[in-house]
Amino acid sequence: MCLRNLFRRRTRTFLCILAIALATMSIVAIGATTSRYICIIKEMHIYFRGKVVVVSKGAIVIEAFPIGGFGSLPQSMAEKVQKIDEVENAVPMLFIYNIGGTLEAFPKNFTIGIPYGNWQVLVGPTPLKLGGHWPSAGSSENEVVVGSSLADQHNLTAGTKITVNGYNLKVTGVLDTSSAFLSRSIITSLDLVQEMYGYHMLINMIVAEPMKGVEGEELANKIEAEIENIEALTEEERIDLAQPLISDIETWVLGIRTLLFILSMIFVTTVAMMNISERRRDFATLDAIGAPKSFVFKMVITETGLMGLLGSIAGILLGSVAAILVASLYTGIPISLFFLSIFDITPPLLMLEILVSTVTVSCIAGVIPSIAAARMNITEALRAEY
Amino acid sequence: MRIKTEELTRKFRVGSSEITAVNRVNLEINEATFIAIVGPSGSGKSTLLNLIGLNDQPTYGRVFIDETDASLISGRRRREIRLLRIGFVFQTFNLLPTLTVLENVELPLSLAGKSQEEQREKAMTLLENVSLGDRIYHRPKELSIGEMQRVAIARALANDPETIIADEPTGELDSKTAKETIDLLFDINRKRKTTVIVATHDEKIVEVADTTYTIIDGKLGLNTN
Repeated sequence: MCLRNLFRRRTRTFLCILAIALATMSIVAIGATTSRYICIIKEMHIYFRGKVVVVSKGAIVIEAFPIGGFGSLPQSMAEKVQKIDEVENAVPMLFIYNIGGTLEAFPKNFTIGIPYGNWQVLVGPTPLKLGGHWPSAGSSENEVVVGSSLADQHNLTAGTKITVNGYNLKVTGVLDTSSAFLSRSIITSLDLVQEMYGYHMLINMIVAEPMKGVEGEELANKIEAEIENIEALTEEERIDLAQPLISDIETWVLGIRTLLFILSMIFVTTVAMMNISERRRDFATLDAIGAPKSFVFKMVITETGLMGLLGSIAGILLGSVAAILVASLYTGIPISLFFLSIFDITPPLLMLEILVSTVTVSCIAGVIPSIAAARMNITEALRAEY
Repeated sequence: MRIKTEELTRKFRVGSSEITAVNRVNLEINEATFIAIVGPSGSGKSTLLNLIGLNDQPTYGRVFIDETDASLISGRRRREIRLLRIGFVFQTFNLLPTLTVLENVELPLSLAGKSQEEQREKAMTLLENVSLGDRIYHRPKELSIGEMQRVAIARALANDPETIIADEPTGELDSKTAKETIDLLFDINRKRKTTVIVATHDEKIVEVADTTYTIIDGKLGLNTN
């Protein structure tokens, strides 16, 4: 009955559902895009756990990784760090954040240079797909390991030849990982990355492992005391550095979402008020034949809830597609690859959250029209039609 | 169901002036009678029916339903009386346009808490009684005016009310369908022993009514013609 009441005024209902769908689409697209990047940032918490990351003073760091090409360090700095008594091991790294074009905010991939044999400092226990091996120092070719997303995108397997930044490289393995960061990474030897990107004897981070029994903070303090113009970041400090960024993003998303919900609510209320004012005789008839006020109340609430449900379903579908388009635009990964992992881009929990929120907001928007319909003066409404 | 009114008065405020639509009406309606209330347009017929049918509250005076003062009855109880003991038939039929003929008749049964099977069975019987058994899945707009009025009567009978209140039920009908409607109401009154109270201009209704009242400017008088 409620659905039929809605479709009695097709154009108005369609426009209302479209407005809800557009608002929901924006919420989903913004939510999915930002939550994905927040997820990537948070995912980086897992790297270098318990270790101290040394970067140049003033470098812009997200979690452990320096971005923006600022603040390189001489490679010899790693030897200085290694010489500190409390350091078990110090691994120099060169982390390159490859953006596709000058105006793009998000990287298409990451290139990471690590000295041969130290790969586990970055990838931990992440295995290579069957048939792959890590680059070997004795090889005459420029060997690299690539992440699974890059491999899927460019159809790479162990043995494939690729060209990056004018260098011919040979893929020796594909990382078997779903990590958003590692799956977009090219990992190879430090000297090769230095050569490819013009960082001769330069690095931009050192990962220092403390001796047994030495706390990260103690080691960081020691490093900063002994070496000038560097920052030694403990795990907590790295998380703290990213936190304001995450909070800002979350606040903006919440603000936009609230605004869109309020606009949807106003729209639904207006349409519902128009509908009930045109159906005064129906409500008066229901009242005259003894329908309880709660029946009328529930009917109007259900109608607005249905508009919210239909709008949110359409919005979630459109928003998921929009989120994929945005992700594809920023990363250069073909849309077809994202469709396979649509639930990674727009997690089911986010979909459910937005569906429930939109239906709830629509039901709330129906409260005033429902009360107006239930309180309608029956005799006036009946008389007005005669 | 006995209905009695005492000094029943209903005033409306229109702008700065006050209109007395029903003025000190004293009326007694016994069970199973056929009552016609006649009067010109705007004389207060519909207002009186709304007061008797517990759709409206009087400004002064009282309505008694089986000796119970309706002003002392809660809003919920008034609705129950409207749902179970009174059936309404409107001049413009007031069928819900999004429901089928069958659903319109099932609605009061559903509101009364009847099961789906009971609703279907009762509604079908009523619609067959008004010769609309073959139109049950049609929407009101697909029916003729006479058919719509018969659906409205079937709906009014859904919960076997003791009283039918009909506000100008033949006002929109041609003479043939008006006669059919009058016959139907008369049958209901005689066969079911249902009290029928009709506000009308129609002389044919007056002819079949047990008692006819005339209302002019809100004042009710017994028609002795």
